[in-house]
Amino acid sequence: MMPLGQQILLLLGKDLRIEARGRHTVGVVIILGILIMVVLGLGLGAGRPVDGFGASAILWVAYLFGGVLCFERTMAWERHDDALAGLLAAPISRSAIYASKLIANIALMFTLAVVVTPVAIALFRFDLSEAPGSFALVMGLGMVGFASIGTLFAAAVSSSRLQGGLLAMLVFPLCLPVVILSTQVMRHVFEQHESVMGSGLATLAAGDVIYLAASWIVFELVLEP
Amino acid sequence: MHQTSREIQTQETRPAPVVAAAAGAAGASGAAVAIRAEGLGREIDGRAILRNITLTVGRGEFVTLLGANGAGKSTLLKILAMLLPATSGHLDLFGERCGLESAKLRARIGLIGHGAMLYRDLSPLENLIFFGRLYGVREPAKRAAELLAWLELSHRAKDPVKTFSRGMLQRVAIARALMHEPDLLLADEPFAGLDAPSMDALARMLTTLHREGRTIVLTNHDIAQSIGLAERAVVLRRGQVVLDEPAASLSVAAVLSAIAGDIVGDAANDAGRGRGGTP
Repeated sequence: MMPLGQQILLLLGKDLRIEARGRHTVGVVIILGILIMVVLGLGLGAGRPVDGFGASAILWVAYLFGGVLCFERTMAWERHDDALAGLLAAPISRSAIYASKLIANIALMFTLAVVVTPVAIALFRFDLSEAPGSFALVMGLGMVGFASIGTLFAAAVSSSRLQGGLLAMLVFPLCLPVVILSTQVMRHVFEQHESVMGSGLATLAAGDVIYLAASWIVFELVLEP
Repeated sequence: MHQTSREIQTQETRPAPVVAAAAGAAGASGAAVAIRAEGLGREIDGRAILRNITLTVGRGEFVTLLGANGAGKSTLLKILAMLLPATSGHLDLFGERCGLESAKLRARIGLIGHGAMLYRDLSPLENLIFFGRLYGVREPAKRAAELLAWLELSHRAKDPVKTFSRGMLQRVAIARALMHEPDLLLADEPFAGLDAPSMDALARMLTTLHREGRTIVLTNHDIAQSIGLAERAVVLRRGQVVLDEPAASLSVAAVLSAIAGDIVGDAANDAGRGRGGTP
């Protein structure tokens, strides 16, 4: 059996090639993210300055819905024509499948963030000038935690007919700690002007590690051909 | 077809002539056995799908699994492919006990399933190279090109497989299953949905692969075709083996009778229930 890292790279390369070929996921996710921003802009009143705390709350709405779409789509590639059975029959570790899907999902979510965040800044006049790096770090860590749990549940429900609704119902409550932690860190940084290092960042990182470890272990058990 | 699979193998740089080893190493007991299943059972939500399956398949043997819908053929094939664990009993492949983690054994199995197990947005060449790399095939591009030529698909090698007909998809699925020169080929209803010329071509391919010495286990609903192709027929009914005979000694009527015993039994039970008032 080839080394785990090589397996992950091989699987990830395949996923990225499929996405590059059809752009099925990234296009839909970006359009959804922009639409959410526009709807929120109309509802909340665009143009009023919003600080980093408010910005993180608004952006999380787009990241959550866009993320669920990413998780579904990357698993859907494996469900067409039973491709997943082909992977499970191959002499590779199931953990490699998890890791490659997770990295693909994180890449897609970061792409979503790169496009949607400037749109949100333009609409809501986010003032992130105080700590733009901290903002990116905290949102990035939050997305990793969300993606780790979302990738696991996308695999678990991918054989179910309910899929979309079920995935959101399962993942949203479970990722709440990460979302709450990241918005709280933003509150400390932007409202109380504390350093990001002393405002719950370690707790957020620890949450990511716990989500990742638990998902890594459980993933093997939830995959069914 | 331009070349046989065997001819392709001889051109391969990969060492270990898989087929020769599989067919020729048949010495005593374990070495001659590809599959040894003892007391295999599988339950889903408390319902027994397979019950006490005991089956031995020799290396190079061609066995067909027959049975009505829901008899457990596909589940048994998934267990043999190590996609699903058995809930009872044990399975040895090529003399080694197997579980879901047996990567070394999985590398010796080729699987053709209901679906093509291919990525629709990728070309056959890309699909085959990808699966070849997963199995550690040396020079996967060369091997893929050779198999596509053998299956007369070279002219479509770079088109996305989503543009392919069912028959063409099935040929690519066969190429995927053969990329790593497996000792054991498991095929779950490979004829399903094929037109007559494609069925004929697939039957010839399976015969060629069998002649080369590969062990083949095939599920199929066409009884006449199955007993014409295979050396041995195993009939499953309600998750149990009810008939295991050389295919040449069987008639379609005998197999049908073994399969339909279930239906006859059900009818008798239903009649009994009706008389006795049991719901």
